[in-house]
Amino acid sequence: MSAQGPASTVTAARPSRPGMFQRLRSDKVALAALILLLVIVAAAVFAPLLTPFDPYHTNLRLRLRPPGGAHLLGTDSQGRDLLTRLLYGTRTTLVLGFAGVAIGTLIGGTIGLLAAFYRRLEGPLMRIVDVLLSFPSILFGLALAAMLGIGMDSLVIALGLSASPRIARVTRATAATVMQAEYMEAGRVIGLSDATLIHRYLLRNCAASIVVYCTLQFGETILLAAALGFLGLGLQPPIAELGSIAAEGRSFIFLAPHVSTAASLLIFVIVLSCNVLGDAFRDLTDPKLRR
Amino acid sequence: MPAADAATTLLTVDGLSKQFSVAGTWPWQRRRLSAVNDISFSIAPGETLSLVGESGCGKSTAGRMLVGLTAPSSGRILFEGRDIATLSSRERRALHRHVQLIFQDPYGSLNPRMTVGELIAEPALVFGLADRHSVAARVSELLGLVGLADRHADRYPHEFSGGQRQRIGIARALAVEPRLIVCDEPVSALDVSVQAQIVNLLRSLQDRLGLSYLFISHGLSVVRHLSHRVAVMYLGNIVEIGPKGAIFARPAHPYTQALLAAAPVARPGARRSRAVLAGDMPSPLNPPSGCRFHPRCPFAVERCQREVPALTPGDDGRSVACHRWRELAAAPAEAPTLRHAPRTAQLLSLYRSAAAASGSCIGIN
Repeated sequence: MSAQGPASTVTAARPSRPGMFQRLRSDKVALAALILLLVIVAAAVFAPLLTPFDPYHTNLRLRLRPPGGAHLLGTDSQGRDLLTRLLYGTRTTLVLGFAGVAIGTLIGGTIGLLAAFYRRLEGPLMRIVDVLLSFPSILFGLALAAMLGIGMDSLVIALGLSASPRIARVTRATAATVMQAEYMEAGRVIGLSDATLIHRYLLRNCAASIVVYCTLQFGETILLAAALGFLGLGLQPPIAELGSIAAEGRSFIFLAPHVSTAASLLIFVIVLSCNVLGDAFRDLTDPKLRR
Repeated sequence: MPAADAATTLLTVDGLSKQFSVAGTWPWQRRRLSAVNDISFSIAPGETLSLVGESGCGKSTAGRMLVGLTAPSSGRILFEGRDIATLSSRERRALHRHVQLIFQDPYGSLNPRMTVGELIAEPALVFGLADRHSVAARVSELLGLVGLADRHADRYPHEFSGGQRQRIGIARALAVEPRLIVCDEPVSALDVSVQAQIVNLLRSLQDRLGLSYLFISHGLSVVRHLSHRVAVMYLGNIVEIGPKGAIFARPAHPYTQALLAAAPVARPGARRSRAVLAGDMPSPLNPPSGCRFHPRCPFAVERCQREVPALTPGDDGRSVACHRWRELAAAPAEAPTLRHAPRTAQLLSLYRSAAAASGSCIGIN
């Protein structure tokens, strides 16, 4: 007996399913968000090349200058160039957001996968997550930042820990669906170890949803980082960080509104872009929502 | 036909039972569902034992216990004379290499994120039957064995049809050189035309590799084609077990008779004495007393409600779990002979005489 005719049932050419980015192109808003975000990231990365000023060079004679002239966005209360401060501040904020989400995914993802894989752990682990979720993340972040002290490391840990419960919940929900699939049992029959089953079967099949959720969580985390900076529990001056720049400008908001406004607008644009993009990614990866 | 005596037995199942604990609305309403109840059978090397029965009779649970996916509640599974339960976890894992499973659903049983090559290589790598260098050759050999081509190895499961995926599943099971393959309804999710291909593939693999199969199915025609021996299950019990020929020709247990009578026969207008069963299968949460079949059995007597019948061996290699099977067999039962409908028979005789007159000889029985 032979196989079904060669390539008769398997299409010779791969089915021409439109790729992710081709489908993204049809979503104008998401595309705009993606481009905006790319521009902001590029500007942050190449900040030293884009601006002739030093973000930490103070000049008290040039305090709170309005936008225009040599300083495109004016200067802040210490006479530092605001545009330069914003570029470097975006850098810090993006790194904070990225590191925070990475740590959150590591912790939350591990909790979620373990809870889904070992049914016995599900109760205890997810109840802990529920307790953590019942705190507003800003309160949680505040408590952690106060506990761990002030500095980049503790801020990133605080951001990661406050992002992790939500990521744990999303991961567990996705992984629990994947656990129902027969291929999990097929892997077990073959004699795969639990570790292999988790990373090669479970994680690979829920990675897409987790990544999409992380995009949404990225905006959330940046907002939290900025809020903590605003409240003085983030990074300390003179480090440029969007939240603390906005906080500094608050004292002079009637005298020189451009400082707070520019920083806040930048945070707003980054977070909005992340959310729009995350939503678009979720729609794109969800086969049920495919148009 | 391979005999199933102790010396030549590959796998022996002795008094295997599985009860599931089923949650009710409240915690104190937990009940015990007896899915498999004290079943015993054995499989010889190179033999196919079919497990047939209605949906929910416990045949899949029995198969899952053999491959280690479900832990038995009681009873023993002996593989080549060694009790699986007494082994250390490492020995058990090594032993389970020899017992593999082919799944019913070829769509759900392959990890969609792995290529076919990775899927087939995986079991061989896990058990150290191939290393990173030799595995490509092994994958190609296995693909050839199940009738797929080398170029299929780079593709993903979703690019294949149901029959081809089932071939991938078979190649995956074969990759660890098993002795016994539990086939859990391997063809019931496939088109009829593809079913035949897969069944023939399983058969030719058995001839070439000396495999044993535990073939779980409710498709009687497939069972008839493939098996050496047949075990009929009803509500978690084996009610009749024996050589295929004996069981299909003269079913002894009333349930087996009804089951065979319910299967369609490829003969136009065939009229048969049909032993139609009344009612549904009782719930395994609350099985009937005595013989579990007695509420639906047309021959049930008062004794059937009290005593659980044991499997008693007959003279032609079969065992039947029924109090009355000998007297039923002795009685002039309405033999389930196949006859054509009167109209068809009339037409056929007309055709035969016409064919004889014209000199052509086309055999029609």
